[in-house]
Amino acid sequence: MYTLLSGLYKQWTTKERYNVLVIGLDNAGKTTLLEKIKQIYNHVPGLPPEKIGPTVGLNIGRIVWQGAQLCFWDLGGQTALQQLWDKYYAECHGIIFVVDSCDSDRIKEVHDVLAQVVTTHDTEGVPILMLANKQDAPRALRLHDIKEVFNPLAVELDARDSKVLGISALCGEGVSESVDWMGTRLFLNKRHRPPATSQ
Amino acid sequence: MGNLFSRVFQRLWGNKEVRILILGLDGAGKTTILYRLQLGEVVNTIPTIGFNVETLTYQNIKFQVWDLGGQTSIRPYWRCYYTNTDAIIYVVDSADHQRLSTSQQELHEMLEEEEIKNAALLVLANKQDMDGAMTPAEVSEALGLATLRDRQWTIFKCSAKTGEGLTESLDWLVNAVTVSK
Repeated sequence: MYTLLSGLYKQWTTKERYNVLVIGLDNAGKTTLLEKIKQIYNHVPGLPPEKIGPTVGLNIGRIVWQGAQLCFWDLGGQTALQQLWDKYYAECHGIIFVVDSCDSDRIKEVHDVLAQVVTTHDTEGVPILMLANKQDAPRALRLHDIKEVFNPLAVELDARDSKVLGISALCGEGVSESVDWMGTRLFLNKRHRPPATSQ
Repeated sequence: MGNLFSRVFQRLWGNKEVRILILGLDGAGKTTILYRLQLGEVVNTIPTIGFNVETLTYQNIKFQVWDLGGQTSIRPYWRCYYTNTDAIIYVVDSADHQRLSTSQQELHEMLEEEEIKNAALLVLANKQDMDGAMTPAEVSEALGLATLRDRQWTIFKCSAKTGEGLTESLDWLVNAVTVSK
């Protein structure tokens, strides 16, 4: 009887779990985005943006989206830390690449880093969402210009799901749309990258 | 069950005390860090047998900090202190190249424990003032921190002797424990 009950309980509480990697150059706004996501979906106050410093290591955010658990892994973006990223590729189900739209000087660097991400074997077939962050800033590059960077890389992606969206992690604009896009793709890509389970 | 009740109780009546453990091999500098944080000065320490516990208040949060002895023979007793731990400070002697692999083993063994599965991990690459000290990147590589999945972690370089890096790491800790609460 106990086994039956606990089995049922497990059945009800077990969720599919998808891991989403949040990467990008340093100061792109990855942690701010993560905090915003937590704020929207978990209804917690979240860290105020002015208290967010550079990430060294890993920040985690878990949300429930349409009955599945999405686990966001926010990794540090400094050059020295980028080598940590590939240790997470094999286990992630989706990648969010965050770009600072105000930093036009580093667009070339963005391109090179992103090129490396998409051509790595372990990320093959993983949906990639590129977010042009800081769209609230007046001197931000428009989405159109950011897409120019992304388009040449789209060839590498083959039939892989990818999209460029403009967001403001600070104001929260476009954040839930991004999560929705990612969640949908994760579900669609289920056969290719089956979810883990979590309680 | 008791755990659940006490958690609900805590949430309702807002007990803001945060429980932190300082762990690491012997001679890593755990006790020096504890008292550097609490008193702001370097004290002369002897190897800890048992534990030191101090409370310190930082940014309106009361930290209850447990510094446990790190010698091989007393490491098995660490687990007696795991319950209700919010965060773990793991101290590494960055100049001790030889014992880094031991440190790595102890760390991963500890993190397997169910009771601390939600605790945030702050690694301190201590003794940066010494010659031949490894950089945080090297330490994190040697400790295999990138193999961690379900845990919020970070690494800071610090020197308990000069005080370098300690404030930054406390700031991180404050954020980590307030977010997870």
